[in-house]
Amino acid sequence: MNKLATATLALGLALAPSLTAPIAAAWAADTLTAQDMIAATDKIRNPGQPFRLTSTLIEYVDGKPRDRSVVVVYAKEDTASGQFNNLVNFTEPARDQGKMVLFHGTKLWFYDPASKASVPISPQQRLIGQASDGDVLTVNWSRDYKASLLGDDKLQDADRKDRDCWHLDMVASNDEAVYSRIELWVEKGTYNPIKGKFYSDSGRVLKIAYYRKYEQILGGLRPTQNIIIDAVDSKLVTTVDTSDFRFVDIPDSWFQRDFLPRLKIEQ
Amino acid sequence: MRDAQKEKKPPRHKDTKGRHLRAVRAVLFLVPWCLAVSISSLACADENSDLNLIPGAVGQEPAKPAPDQTQPGAPAAPAPTATAAPTGKTYIEDAFTVESLRSPLAVPLPPSTAPALEIQNRSSLDFTHKWSFDGTLDFSFSDRANLYEENDIAIPSHQDFRNDFREGFVTWEPEAQTYLEAGRINVRHGTALGYNPTDFFKTRTLVDQSSEDPSVIREDRLGVAMVQGQRIFENGSATLAVAPRLASPTAIPTSGPPPSVDPGFGRTNGTNRVLLSGSTELADGVSPEFLAYHDDDGSRFGASVSRTIGQAIVAYGEWAGGEQGSLTSRAIQFGHQTDALPAIVVDPDPRKSFTNDAAVGASWTDGADEITLNAEYHYHQSGFGAADWRNWFAAGRAGKPLVDSLLWYTRAYAQDQQEPMSRQEIFLRADWQDAFIDKLEISAIAFVNLYDGSTLTQLSVSYNLSDDWTVSALGGASVGASRSERGSVPEQANAIAQLVRYF
Repeated sequence: MNKLATATLALGLALAPSLTAPIAAAWAADTLTAQDMIAATDKIRNPGQPFRLTSTLIEYVDGKPRDRSVVVVYAKEDTASGQFNNLVNFTEPARDQGKMVLFHGTKLWFYDPASKASVPISPQQRLIGQASDGDVLTVNWSRDYKASLLGDDKLQDADRKDRDCWHLDMVASNDEAVYSRIELWVEKGTYNPIKGKFYSDSGRVLKIAYYRKYEQILGGLRPTQNIIIDAVDSKLVTTVDTSDFRFVDIPDSWFQRDFLPRLKIEQ
Repeated sequence: MRDAQKEKKPPRHKDTKGRHLRAVRAVLFLVPWCLAVSISSLACADENSDLNLIPGAVGQEPAKPAPDQTQPGAPAAPAPTATAAPTGKTYIEDAFTVESLRSPLAVPLPPSTAPALEIQNRSSLDFTHKWSFDGTLDFSFSDRANLYEENDIAIPSHQDFRNDFREGFVTWEPEAQTYLEAGRINVRHGTALGYNPTDFFKTRTLVDQSSEDPSVIREDRLGVAMVQGQRIFENGSATLAVAPRLASPTAIPTSGPPPSVDPGFGRTNGTNRVLLSGSTELADGVSPEFLAYHDDDGSRFGASVSRTIGQAIVAYGEWAGGEQGSLTSRAIQFGHQTDALPAIVVDPDPRKSFTNDAAVGASWTDGADEITLNAEYHYHQSGFGAADWRNWFAAGRAGKPLVDSLLWYTRAYAQDQQEPMSRQEIFLRADWQDAFIDKLEISAIAFVNLYDGSTLTQLSVSYNLSDDWTVSALGGASVGASRSERGSVPEQANAIAQLVRYF
């Protein structure tokens, strides 16, 4: 299981769709298309101001917690591209402390304080441990995916409560999309994401995600825990708990490689 | 869509035959509808079965306190500088090395430099930390203390201990994104993996390594005492670094850095140096960097660039050029400067010419199997070509110790400067994470001489026992004919077992 894939889901999914009642009512018209739904989730992902959060990833093997890692994520929407720029700082485990990843459009840089080196990396390249940069890169689904409505489903959420959902099919529409296809179940009325399935180019299901523990965060009701099941090796499960959400002032100059050694993580 | 199907009704007909037909039509219609409903129910049931994969321990955590302290529209916190947390890493490492030596050599080693090491154990305490004061002032410190046990060194003795003072500098940020720094700083440039022509401050910074992998070697090298100023703009940055001469250049160690607590400024600050660099962010993911460097030997210029191609490939390259003597000429001059070579050794060709150095390559990642491959071509114009290598081996055949000393000194000089000995080589690296089992990483590297095909290669296997412990095994070899670059070195093969504990 890809842990920081989980972090995508920490960033992309923790901030994922949960429309407030007035917004939901406004969007509840018959003319609402699947793409509109995805666009709505994008608006929810972007709280309107640059923000930071902390993601704690716990990997379970055969049902038992084994590894723990913590990352701090700074995110800001690029007004020109409509995509998010991200800075990811690893704070745990100790061996990875201080390592950073910059996601700025198609430019990705990995910085290791031990070598003082900023190395260009590809979206598919693994960072450290279970981390995958490409998972964190794409958080604006409507920009990277073409969505269609497969139908209505009654689905159980991670707490085994029945939810009436829209079943959306999202197909990558450009090369920057991390996954070639995503299936997403979105609760009717609330637009809360309940479950997602993420596919590789070959059509294989890579991971299954459940979203739970909705809390009022940065002005919206958002999931604070994502449960990621490795679809290839189902004995591997990773949880991502997001916390310490804050609006922060992030200058655009942060999103370049020479700033990586300069970032200080506030307490 | 299924709801819409349910609302459709078959047309009504009055005759018996028509009723039968309607019944048939109704059945024909209901069959797919029922099938759809059944499939939908089965599908949902199947989707719900994924919940069985969630461990029972998940969801039993205590509830978190309500995290929302900020509402939209609220003023954002200032850029986080005022209360930055101290950062850093501390670990202890033990590396046990067994090395087999090649004999006889095509060009004999001078007796005084013949390595005697065959077995060594190194225990190190590695400490790197950064403290922040009042948000605008930082202090960074990086150091490694090494304790050696070798088969040819008495215990205890003054040769058992060596301290590597890597960094110690103050950073002042008088205004946002403007930095002034003073102290010993490890400044690194370049995008390539195996050889960085634009990494001008790399010279003479090596300390002894337990790996030949450049990505590992980079993690333990000495910084250079300097004053540095940097301004980061919205789409680029400009940096000026001035490194003064603080001590007379010390001689190249004949078998690794001398055991001591000497900070080694005679290695890193034996000459005056200035580096001006600037980077910019262009469209389409291109981020070039330009450099201008000057030291007592002359000026050089450089540039590097990288670009992501699709999801799996990164292409990169760097170039440096300037007036420079040949590798042999520079080695002899440095030998005279440090009294390592007698005056009787004369530089046969002290002329300088414009020389180019370059490294171009690409990385490719297989996202499914977590394998990353790097392939690079290295060009070092002042290094040895095929004729230079022929001359090197021919001179060594004369059996004159002084000549042999000069020949090996040239190679030691290239290593000390961290520049390739040969004019052209290929570098390959493969890295496989979670190989066979989770948390097992396998890496392999190879430097291949394009003139004689000789190769320096290493295979390493690393396993994270836990978040705090890592165990590794490395095996390396210099492979080639006796009269080749890699087949002529005394180090034939080595094996290393390594254990690291992080705190």
